Amino acid sequence: MWRLLHVVAIGALVASAGYAYTIKYETMWYAEQVVITRNAIAREHDAISLLRAEWASLARPERLQELADKYLDLKPLALFQIGRLRDLPEVAPKVDVIGDTIDAMIAAPTPTTPAAPPHKTLAKTPAL
Amino acid sequence: MQADPLNQAEPANRTPKSRKPWLSGRLQGLFSTNVSYGPDRIRFVALCFLGIFATISGKLIYLGLKPEAPQTVKSAALDALSGARPDILDRNGDILATDIKVMSVFAEPRRILDKDEAVELLSAVLPGIDAKELRERIGSKKGFVWVKRAVTPKEQQEVFHLGLPGIGFLPENKRSYPNGPLAAHVLGYTNTDNNGIAGMEKYIDGQGLADLHGAGFRLTPEDLKPVRLSIDIRATHVLRDELQEGMVRYRAKAAAGAILDVNTGEVIALTSLPDYDPNNPVDALDKDHLNRAVVGVYEMGSTFKALTLAMAMDSGKANLNSRIDVRGTLRYGRHTIHDFHGQNRTLTLPEVFKYSSNIGTAKFALMVGIEGHKAFLRRLGQMDRMKTELPESTEPLYPKNWSEVSTVTIAYGHGIAVAPLQAQMAVAALVNGGYLMRPTFLKRTEEEAKKDAERVIKPETSEALRYIMRLNAEEGSARKADIPGYFVGGKTGTAEKVFGGRYVHNRLFTTFMALVPADKPKYLFMVVYDEPQGVTEGHGTAVAANNAGVVTGKVIERVTPLLGLAPRFEPPTQPFPMLAKLGIGTRQPQGTTPR
Repeated sequence: MWRLLHVVAIGALVASAGYAYTIKYETMWYAEQVVITRNAIAREHDAISLLRAEWASLARPERLQELADKYLDLKPLALFQIGRLRDLPEVAPKVDVIGDTIDAMIAAPTPTTPAAPPHKTLAKTPAL
Repeated sequence: MQADPLNQAEPANRTPKSRKPWLSGRLQGLFSTNVSYGPDRIRFVALCFLGIFATISGKLIYLGLKPEAPQTVKSAALDALSGARPDILDRNGDILATDIKVMSVFAEPRRILDKDEAVELLSAVLPGIDAKELRERIGSKKGFVWVKRAVTPKEQQEVFHLGLPGIGFLPENKRSYPNGPLAAHVLGYTNTDNNGIAGMEKYIDGQGLADLHGAGFRLTPEDLKPVRLSIDIRATHVLRDELQEGMVRYRAKAAAGAILDVNTGEVIALTSLPDYDPNNPVDALDKDHLNRAVVGVYEMGSTFKALTLAMAMDSGKANLNSRIDVRGTLRYGRHTIHDFHGQNRTLTLPEVFKYSSNIGTAKFALMVGIEGHKAFLRRLGQMDRMKTELPESTEPLYPKNWSEVSTVTIAYGHGIAVAPLQAQMAVAALVNGGYLMRPTFLKRTEEEAKKDAERVIKPETSEALRYIMRLNAEEGSARKADIPGYFVGGKTGTAEKVFGGRYVHNRLFTTFMALVPADKPKYLFMVVYDEPQGVTEGHGTAVAANNAGVVTGKVIERVTPLLGLAPRFEPPTQPFPMLAKLGIGTRQPQGTTPR
């Protein structure tokens, strides 16, 4: 029985050592990953700052003025080009010409049919 | 009886009769399991462990006491590396200066096997290397030496492919100014170790960055907050563009200009021509490239009349209705003062300003007297060095013996020489209601500015001055800068320069100050030209109205909408309320007709 116990104890020892070293190597690997990621972040930061500097250089007023002069047909704004709402002419009252014509036709008697004189025979016939 | 386990001569269990050989006897003694050996063995093991730990602690103590770490390549390089600096942004957040990472090539002379071959190959690949100097540097006994700082990626590749031992790369921060020569004098520049040596870069160092670097902190660009300047880069570009065009058109030797926000004292734009590119500041220390607006001293000429008349009105000795006889000339001993385009009659104070009468202004100054004049100019900061964030500044020049003649000449701007920005600071104080504010290049709010400001004149005087400036723009010499819609007020100044102790007629220094808008002042524009020539032939064609005035008008037209001031279609109805109570300025100015 003691031999068995010895074997079990040694096996447990080896297993625990193996476990400890596995953890250790895993930790080392993760630590390496962290360092790699940190370096990648630093590289990205550098690239970002380089791109920002490049953007600022491409968007500098001198260059934009040159390009605008070359490709755009713009001129400086003059005061008379700005209009205000109150400078617009007064809105004329809405006149509906066609509608008015139709209304007038309905209201007024048409000149081609003269007003029918009252029926002479009917008017004078006494009651039968 | 304790047996010494090391001394295997008498093990307790050795049978006295058997005489084993010495070695196996000792071996047997070593492995014997006799209990009486126990304590000795424990003592022995304890001694061994003690020895090991003692050695370790001894080594630790030794390492801790050693004065300096061994000079490895990395640590020596860290001292030489350039540190990170904060970005400099303009008032709208556009980048004015930023760090970019570049690679620098270094050499470890101790590791280079064939120094001549290394120098030959390196000077073939990298442009701009002095081979002899490099050979000397590599031949020295140092452990670390720079070969070339800030190489391009292509050059780095080529050096890498040379495969030389002892040559390596280190990343460094290089300062980049994306806008080129714009605002160069304000920003300053840095040296190869990224320390600021001029302008705002030096100011930032002085604010504690240099101390941090000295203490050895390695700062990354993310740790540092960007610095916001008051400068607007678009306005600076317009100012520089127009100044440059004018310098060519009027064949002037130099030019300078600035835009001040009168309510906060912020410098919105500052340009001095000729200038340099801070990305390559090899010629920055050239005498011709100095910052004329801040460091150059000039006699400002008739722009000083604004100060004199404000002084006269503020002292109570004169007001807008005062009349002065400007007939003939004014004689003072050897000196004769006459007016340019003399009117030869009696003028009111506004007319003295409008016709820029030297005699009238001199008489107004004499009303106040020498002591009053000196005190007023001192109050307006014209007699002392103007201190701004820029490390550069200069002392104004004025006569040591200030006599009545001095007062007379200084009244119309001759006899005292100040920096243009200093005069602009004084005029700004006169028009913003009477608060003198130190010009600042950092973003500043009105409350902060008013806290440090001191009151130099009464609000009524300020309004009167704005009135006469507006009158000058409508009817006087500042007409060329009267852009419709902005209610501009202005003053020209044409000063003869002094050569060999005498005033020379055909070499002028012209200035122009313009206030936009004159009823609720916001911005004060200034343009100065050094020795402009007239565009047309004839006497009096190089006066300020024809060059500085024209250029200021163009700048106002382009810049004011950029700065957020919309043009107004009608002139303001009550531009000068305090004067209206006195019955002055109630007549409506001419309607703004588009040109």
